[in-house]
Amino acid sequence: MGGPALSDEGERAMGVGNGVGEARGVGDGSRASVDERVVLAGIPLRNAVLTASGTFGYGTEFAPFLDLTRLGGFVAKSLTLEARHGNPPPRIAEAPAGMLNAISIENVGVKVFLEEKLPALPEGVVVIASAFGTEPGLYAELVARVTAHPRVAGIEINASCPHVKAGGIEFGQDPRLLAELVAVVRKATTRPLLVKLSPNVTRIADMAKVCEAEGADGITLINAIQAMEVDVERRRPVLSNILGGLSGPAIRPIALRMVWQAAQAVRIPICGVGGITCAEDAVKFLLCGATAIQVGTQNYLDPTAAIGIARGIADYARRHGFERVADLTGALLPPQGK
Amino acid sequence: MLGAGAEGGAVRRDPLLPRPMAVYRELGPMAAGVEGAAGERIVEVLFRVVGRGTALLADLRKDDRVSLVGPLGRGFAQVEAEAKIAASAGPALLVGGGTGIASLYEWARALASAGRAVTVLIGARSAGDLLGWSDYAALGVEMIGATEDGSAGIKGLVTKPLEDRLRKLQAGRDATVYAVGPTPMMRACADLAEAHAARCYVSLENPMACGFGVCLGCAAPRRSGGFALVCRSGPVFPALEIDWAGLP
Repeated sequence: MGGPALSDEGERAMGVGNGVGEARGVGDGSRASVDERVVLAGIPLRNAVLTASGTFGYGTEFAPFLDLTRLGGFVAKSLTLEARHGNPPPRIAEAPAGMLNAISIENVGVKVFLEEKLPALPEGVVVIASAFGTEPGLYAELVARVTAHPRVAGIEINASCPHVKAGGIEFGQDPRLLAELVAVVRKATTRPLLVKLSPNVTRIADMAKVCEAEGADGITLINAIQAMEVDVERRRPVLSNILGGLSGPAIRPIALRMVWQAAQAVRIPICGVGGITCAEDAVKFLLCGATAIQVGTQNYLDPTAAIGIARGIADYARRHGFERVADLTGALLPPQGK
Repeated sequence: MLGAGAEGGAVRRDPLLPRPMAVYRELGPMAAGVEGAAGERIVEVLFRVVGRGTALLADLRKDDRVSLVGPLGRGFAQVEAEAKIAASAGPALLVGGGTGIASLYEWARALASAGRAVTVLIGARSAGDLLGWSDYAALGVEMIGATEDGSAGIKGLVTKPLEDRLRKLQAGRDATVYAVGPTPMMRACADLAEAHAARCYVSLENPMACGFGVCLGCAAPRRSGGFALVCRSGPVFPALEIDWAGLP
């Protein structure tokens, strides 16, 4: 490691419950020179840090830990038309520098989300709804209902759902299915539309191009990587579902690679996600072409993580002479010696 | 949720997740002289080293940094107060298996100071694993020990003396069992309590990533269908609410 990037030592000051740092709000005089605002897929954000779907509940769970209005925004738990129970336990397992989960989109359903969860959020919180379904028509119906609510700033569709009629293959794993899905959902909403792509593909750039061609306003990548863990003493899979999704720092370099590849292939903005634990991680995604980032698994360890990461990104920008965080997007230099 | 910091206090990325821990004892306020912490409360946690995470916690030295999110969840007092069945003033039988006794000490103390007849039954593999004995004994409560190898107390599982006691207590009608330990032990306690018409509460120890209701990893199946989150609705539950067959 070398160079001027943020050190772990620098991160330490942003740890859990660091009340001193918390008191420094956006617009603080010491940081007036850096404009933290970014625009993601047409959604204006006060900073480049969102929190990832499935790791942030419906937002209210985090209200005891942080001021939700200081986030760039958050992507709510993926919704289905009806409420859904998840998989039986065990649902999670620890992995090297990460974790596996197989929750299976347990959620309150779109009605409770719109009538109870959204109104419980403070004014000024940027909420992106996440939609999940087993057929394009179900996604579209859900997206249309969510679109009608004034508190929804944008919609992210979770394209990692198996398409029932296509034999259970994930929408995000087949360019033709993905094209059909994005086209149908696009017709159902005028709101900013992000597509969260599955990393379980050979060529992520192809999937990104499909989203762009079908009218998506942006893409989010990556979702968890399909994985498995085994309990050798019991001679059984650890998860009741056998397969789960790997998340956490273990997947960060893969996510970074995919963001970089997608950024070479499309012009629509990218929201980078995958194993981000600190501002240094986040900056890597921005440099590789992401317009904004999402914090996921780290929210479990440190529910205030996103706030510290936003502050750390601004600090990085200032130290490196960038007036706007938005200018970090794609600012990666060529390899040394080229 | 408790996690060990990395070298120099930096963010630790492996093992990643903090560990759900019960507060074993609440000690008095912090003595003066600890910078910035005078008057803060001291809590004690009690755990067994089972893997890398607990090994790191066990290696902590004075002034090492930890991450802590808590207190979280609902304890015995709160869950019992909100239960559909009115709390009993009768005998309280606290059953702790292994590190399960870490979740019962403060409750034993509260019950004892409220004047309830408290019996603490502690089960372990062998004498060396019988944790917390002297701490509990200092509360002045009745103590019964059981070890699987018979090296201390009654030989066998702790559920044996529990059954004997429930039988003696006029078919257990007034008694309440509070059980924490391995799932098979808690299930056996729940079955015994039900058979003897006693109330029973358990504190579940499902793995969890967050502790505050968002990872949804700690779901426990309910007898009435669906799942309850151990972190948020529990970890203490009326034993009758749990679908024990569905709990790994």
